[in-house]
Amino acid sequence: MSRPTRRATGKGGWNPYRALGLGLVLGGTVFAPIAYFLIASVPFAAIGISAIMLGFTCMALANARPYISPEASEVILRTGMENTAALLEELGLQNKAVYLPSTLRDGHPQALIPLSGTADLTRIRARIPGRLIVRWGDDPEDMAIAVTTPGSAQLEKMESRPGSTAAEIESAITYVLVGVLDLANAVTVSVTPGRVDIGVVGARLQYEDAWYYRCLGSPVASIAATIACEALGKPVRIIEESPEEKRSRIVLEVLG
Amino acid sequence: MRVFNRYLIILALASLAVNSMLAFAGQQDLTVYFTANAIAYLMITLLHVYMNPAARRSLSRVSAVLFASFAIVVGIKVVEVLSGV
Repeated sequence: MSRPTRRATGKGGWNPYRALGLGLVLGGTVFAPIAYFLIASVPFAAIGISAIMLGFTCMALANARPYISPEASEVILRTGMENTAALLEELGLQNKAVYLPSTLRDGHPQALIPLSGTADLTRIRARIPGRLIVRWGDDPEDMAIAVTTPGSAQLEKMESRPGSTAAEIESAITYVLVGVLDLANAVTVSVTPGRVDIGVVGARLQYEDAWYYRCLGSPVASIAATIACEALGKPVRIIEESPEEKRSRIVLEVLG
Repeated sequence: MRVFNRYLIILALASLAVNSMLAFAGQQDLTVYFTANAIAYLMITLLHVYMNPAARRSLSRVSAVLFASFAIVVGIKVVEVLSGV
């Protein structure tokens, strides 16, 4: 078995934050007494204390870095997306996915890709069984493929379900995209009846004209849609995604 | 890790601003520098609530130690004022 790379070893391996933190703590610890007792300069001693505080903060952040390297995460994400895309391509599905809250699935949110393009998914009332191919309505053509999206997996790690106001949805999407996944710089959300407008500043995973993206949207839009549908407790569909270099716009249609 | 870098840069700039302002104001009490830095640190850390849970847990420990030190410094100052030293 090959040895893991140093970058992927997490707590035990070399970490730039730990190295910076150690340097600042040691530097501050040496500099502060020298400045206070030998140079007799209080402002310089204060700089030493600030360095110690910043050093401990760096060392604290070093422990919070992910165990898996970003390259490994990208490979895993791409593999999952390509497998889903292959399934959709084989079935010839190009319909827009509908994101369902956990209350309409078996306890965890998923996306439903209807087999029929004219499907009216506002008719979903009952809980849909946790299978790959599901029947969501009473008509024979009311069939769909249910897939797990990156947002579904992330939402299960959240401590509580987000509230339904624009501020609460914005806070939840910011927490996931900016704080946990580091996929964007900032997020803004506005909610109007039947519609959710999401602005994502500095999105790292941009929209591509691929089969997966046409059905489920980009990973960033998919995560935002999953959080919004869970917060509102209603199915949503990505109706527009306009990726810009600085600020992407995602428009969600709230169904039901 | 852009969110970590941004947080550290904001902390460093805040420390620089606080120390510079107090130095230009002619402040010679080290506890005043420490108190001002601690308040700035706690405020900036509170504003970065959206960091991942592991980072928040680690930063909470640092904040707790800093807050305890801040409380001790303030306590000593209160005792000094009350005892008329």
